[in-house]
Amino acid sequence: MHKVFMVIRREYLERVKKKSFWIGTAVFPLLMIVMFGIQFAVMFVTPAEQKTIAFVDATGRLLAAMAQGLDDKLKDGRPEFVLVPEPVRGSLDETRRSLEPKVVEGKLFGVLTVAEDIDSKEAFRFYAKNVGNVMATERIQKALKNAVVGLRLEKSNLGLDRKTLDAIMKPIDLGTFQVSATGESKKKGFLQTWLGTFAFVMVLYMSLLLYGIAVMRGILEEKSSRVMEVLLGSLSPDQLMTGKIIGIGLVGLTQMAIYVVTAGALRGYFAAQQAAAEWTSALDAFSPAKLLGFVVFYILGYFMYTALFAAIGAVCNSEQEAQNLTTPVSMCLVIPMLAAFFFVNNPDSTVAVVVSMIPIFTPMVMYMRISVLTPPLWQIGLSVLLMLGTIWLFFKGTAKIFRIGVLMYGKRPTIPEILRWARS
Amino acid sequence: MEPAIALRGVTKTFGDFRAVDHIDLEVPQGEVFGLLGPNGAGKTTSIRMIMDIFRPDAGEVRVLGQNLADGTKDRIGYLPEERGLYRKMKLSDMLEFQGAIKGMAPAAARKAGLQWLERLELGGWKDKKVEELSKGMQQKAQFVAAVMTQPDLLILDEPFSGMDPVNQDLFKDVIVELNRAGATILFSTHQMDTAEKLCKRIALLNHGKVALTGVLSEVKAGFGKNSVLMDFEGDGSFLRSLPGVASVDDYGQYQEIRLAADADPQDLLRASVGRLTIRRFEIVSPTLHNIFIELVGGEQAHA
Repeated sequence: MHKVFMVIRREYLERVKKKSFWIGTAVFPLLMIVMFGIQFAVMFVTPAEQKTIAFVDATGRLLAAMAQGLDDKLKDGRPEFVLVPEPVRGSLDETRRSLEPKVVEGKLFGVLTVAEDIDSKEAFRFYAKNVGNVMATERIQKALKNAVVGLRLEKSNLGLDRKTLDAIMKPIDLGTFQVSATGESKKKGFLQTWLGTFAFVMVLYMSLLLYGIAVMRGILEEKSSRVMEVLLGSLSPDQLMTGKIIGIGLVGLTQMAIYVVTAGALRGYFAAQQAAAEWTSALDAFSPAKLLGFVVFYILGYFMYTALFAAIGAVCNSEQEAQNLTTPVSMCLVIPMLAAFFFVNNPDSTVAVVVSMIPIFTPMVMYMRISVLTPPLWQIGLSVLLMLGTIWLFFKGTAKIFRIGVLMYGKRPTIPEILRWARS
Repeated sequence: MEPAIALRGVTKTFGDFRAVDHIDLEVPQGEVFGLLGPNGAGKTTSIRMIMDIFRPDAGEVRVLGQNLADGTKDRIGYLPEERGLYRKMKLSDMLEFQGAIKGMAPAAARKAGLQWLERLELGGWKDKKVEELSKGMQQKAQFVAAVMTQPDLLILDEPFSGMDPVNQDLFKDVIVELNRAGATILFSTHQMDTAEKLCKRIALLNHGKVALTGVLSEVKAGFGKNSVLMDFEGDGSFLRSLPGVASVDDYGQYQEIRLAADADPQDLLRASVGRLTIRRFEIVSPTLHNIFIELVGGEQAHA
């Protein structure tokens, strides 16, 4: 134990003492903030435009309700939609055709026509240059539907007065809440979901990859500088491997701890300042349960992936040589990242459940699922057990590969050879 | 008393190449033992098996009275043939680490490391990074790492290669001193004269087998006290064809003449007088160098 501890101590101190560790630790959140900022910029800073819509209403009774329904305001306070009532000249089609040049020129966002018989087929039509603007068309459809329902109620023989109608038609506001195992339901904003899921998944991905590769590099360096043999004169390969993996893992955890403490301090600061409620709630993403999940999956994922990276380091002589072997391993981390939107949007789908049970994908995918909902405990438990089994297998194999590989210079063994070592 | 190192029937094969072939070897405690042999004879592989870095395919390795275990490694100082140090570490930090993984407390390891650095005239470099040291200094630093734990057994693979004579003497002094204090020393070398000066016993490996082993003086006696060192002026080419002369080795400054077992050196002297101006005529045992060449074959000795 003393020896393993001494290896841990060296790996940890030599790395934490380096300037590059602190620079990396500081740069990473900055990078996240920049990415975060770009997302926000794209979503919110796109120039706000007023949309002028020519409203050709053959019934002549919908304008008021429509105007009321489309009362959205732009950032600068101007109304987003401007309805310009157009009288019907000749037929609806003729009127629309006469307005189309304005749409092409961009003077009009679109033309909305309503036939006199609102129950006829295709009574409502919207003509625009860009009908792909889902947000806008959805808003128009919603407002129109409300106006039409109002009109129908008015035309029905229920004898409702204006006031009752307004009360019936009053729009509702749907708040979204996430149910968690602890029983508390919290209102979740976009910022919080984003921070709580993607930011953490990103950190998980980067850390597993970076620290896994750090272990591999360390081994390659010891091989190429021939320190390996000196070390093996004092240590068993198992002691060296264990010490190295734990030491570098602790460096990673130190980095995490720095982030958590900083986030906690920020949360306290915002709470004290009673700053923007959204920021405070965003930092709720750092809830103890979530952090625990993060730490567990980080540690398990770290051991699983470093076992693979250590084996690669043991059988190669240079990073170039290692590249062919690291690519498939990093792909196991990259693929869940690429599919992150799917897993976050469908955390309970069969695909998500099955993939989260495949140990090599578990850290990333199960963590994504945990961060958006609380999967059944048996699923979490089973995935952890499967991972522990895989880690045990990987370590047994890697220890054998390590023992044979670390003093081997020259040609890299083939994959079948490596597998034979692992089983020997 | 059980030998410090005992190899019995030890074999190691790499692919098709049998690096070590049924070696039996005993290094008695408290002695200085030289492991000799040409390149590729199996010296380093044998040492790595003694250090439990390689596992033998067959046979038994016993070190300090047991099969090598974790605790035994702590009692062995090891200087590998492949020198290697953490280049980015401070020299003192690195020695502390090297001592610590031999089971020393870090503070004690640091103290011992610094004392040895002073002894080997590297004291001023303790706060420098290893990569700033010259090659020779790095080798001294590695030697420090091997001896600083006061090992019972010191295994040195080619300790003198690449060192200047002053530093070779420094190493030699330390080796003798540690041996006097009770340590067993096993070292491999190509330098026959060094082996001759330091070793009580030697083993000569060739093609993975023990070609010769035993107490150095007995080994030499076995080859007969049948060599003559001659230094002379004149054309000595006729010496080769004299009856009773087995071989002539020209070293430039003198000639070593090996005689057949039953030949009389006095006949050689008589035959030379008058034809050469003799400055030196000395009857000696064959040098280790000559024994080496005779056993290994001339073509490999220069490899």
